[in-house]
Amino acid sequence: MKPTSLRSHEIPFALGAPSLIWQVLFLYLPMLLIVCTSVLSFSAAGKIEGFTLEKIFAFFTPTYLEVISSSLLLGLSNALLCLGIAYPLAYFMASCGKRCKNFLLFLLIIPFWTNFLLHVYAWFFVLEKEGFLNHLLQTLGILSTPIPFMNTLFATMIMMVYYYLPFMVLPIYSSLEKFDARLVEASLDLGATRAQTFRRIVFPLSMPGVRAGFFLVYIPSFGEFAIPELMGGDKQVFVGSDILGDDTGSLGAAFAVVACSILLLSCFAIHLGLHKVTHALQKS
Amino acid sequence: MLCKNHKPRTLFTCFTIGTFLFLYLPIIVLLVFSFNSESFPSPWKYFSWKWYVELIYAKHLWEAFANSLLIALSATSISLLLGIFFIFYLAQGGKIKRYIYLYYGNLVIPETVLAVALLGFFTLVSIPLGLITLVLAHTVLGVGFAIPILHARYQDLDPRMTEASLDLGASPMQTFFKVTLPLLRPSLIATGLLIFIISFDDFILAYFCAGSDSQTLSLYILSMLRTGICPVVNALSAVLFLLSSLLALMFFSLQSRAKVF
Repeated sequence: MKPTSLRSHEIPFALGAPSLIWQVLFLYLPMLLIVCTSVLSFSAAGKIEGFTLEKIFAFFTPTYLEVISSSLLLGLSNALLCLGIAYPLAYFMASCGKRCKNFLLFLLIIPFWTNFLLHVYAWFFVLEKEGFLNHLLQTLGILSTPIPFMNTLFATMIMMVYYYLPFMVLPIYSSLEKFDARLVEASLDLGATRAQTFRRIVFPLSMPGVRAGFFLVYIPSFGEFAIPELMGGDKQVFVGSDILGDDTGSLGAAFAVVACSILLLSCFAIHLGLHKVTHALQKS
Repeated sequence: MLCKNHKPRTLFTCFTIGTFLFLYLPIIVLLVFSFNSESFPSPWKYFSWKWYVELIYAKHLWEAFANSLLIALSATSISLLLGIFFIFYLAQGGKIKRYIYLYYGNLVIPETVLAVALLGFFTLVSIPLGLITLVLAHTVLGVGFAIPILHARYQDLDPRMTEASLDLGASPMQTFFKVTLPLLRPSLIATGLLIFIISFDDFILAYFCAGSDSQTLSLYILSMLRTGICPVVNALSAVLFLLSSLLALMFFSLQSRAKVF
């Protein structure tokens, strides 16, 4: 128990917890608002008429379901790609000496902290028809005619992985860094192979980092709107641009509610899935 | 040390170098071409500072820059202030810990959805869109980082420090300002830097909650992107890249940075 001579009733709650009020006022109230607007029907004058699920069910049509499923796929593939690159990278960083570790972290942070649109611009520069990559490939004689890389799913994916990679590396790195190396020694001493040690000891113990990274990448990339819009052109429509593309308000809000609920459900499924994978690895 | 003196190490090194090349190649290309005398798509001609000079005279850009700076500074200070209030209340024995899960919502809700929700809210309570709404929106993001991080760091503090201070006759108030807060200072600075960067680079919330006549740097860059490639943006990237390197350096000189991640 921490000694306290001021009893809590002496400090008014409202004075002590303005951040809680802020949270409720600017996060939960607006969220509640869009939930309400999507289940209430309004008269032409803007008066509330009653409860309706019509607006919600309006999205259970093939077009919208396709948009949602392509967003789920985008988020999932982005998270898996990032995981595939980030895990070895984080593993290497965690196994470096202290100076090397800090230097690599520093290198990772700088692009992470530079304005996101400038990265988009940089990739424009590289991937354009007359851009750096085509120029390079042509000079090397690999290509004879330039390939238009921009406005393709390929460009979208490159940008997604590029932007979200640090979100995955940092949590995995911090869980691997805390790892007790003696556990590996013990496991090897007791006759396990390197692969077995990784599967049964290292990976399961780094799971909190993997899980955190996975959700840090998956959730925003599900709702991502700028990257597909700027890199992918208008070929593929994702949830983000559908929510934001509608200016009338209530339809966009209702779609946001639907998409958010599906996102929550999918997060729950992924959580269980990751749990299963760890178990299976440990038992194999 | 997870894999010392081990054969796959060379493989790992190559992989790491490859990944960092992927991360830095576009930036390096961009920086090199900011010194090109000719505009895109013409190849390299000769070295010139021309685009940097043009950048200095881009008046609207610097207005947008100032706006972004103002918003980021305000959002950071409000978030940190709210964080300090939270810790203060907690330190005085306030029972706020059970509400801590309420602060995790900010990370779980995609920013696009938050933007729509806030836009609806601001319209309903008729706050005109502009710099103020942006500060409010960015503070929501900031609080989502500040409270969980500061709460965790506060839990890590050695309770004997405050006990000693109280035993030696300091009031709870004095203990908070002379012991607890100074102990938390590195975490406060690191969190502040993080929030500053997030707000300064934010694009989605700015796109929605800025209204039509307040421009932020992200929105300005977007409008330049829409008009096609212009080397002034290259010059701007070079400047911003330098700026974020400096901030990252500052962040790294703080002992507590490892604990923010």
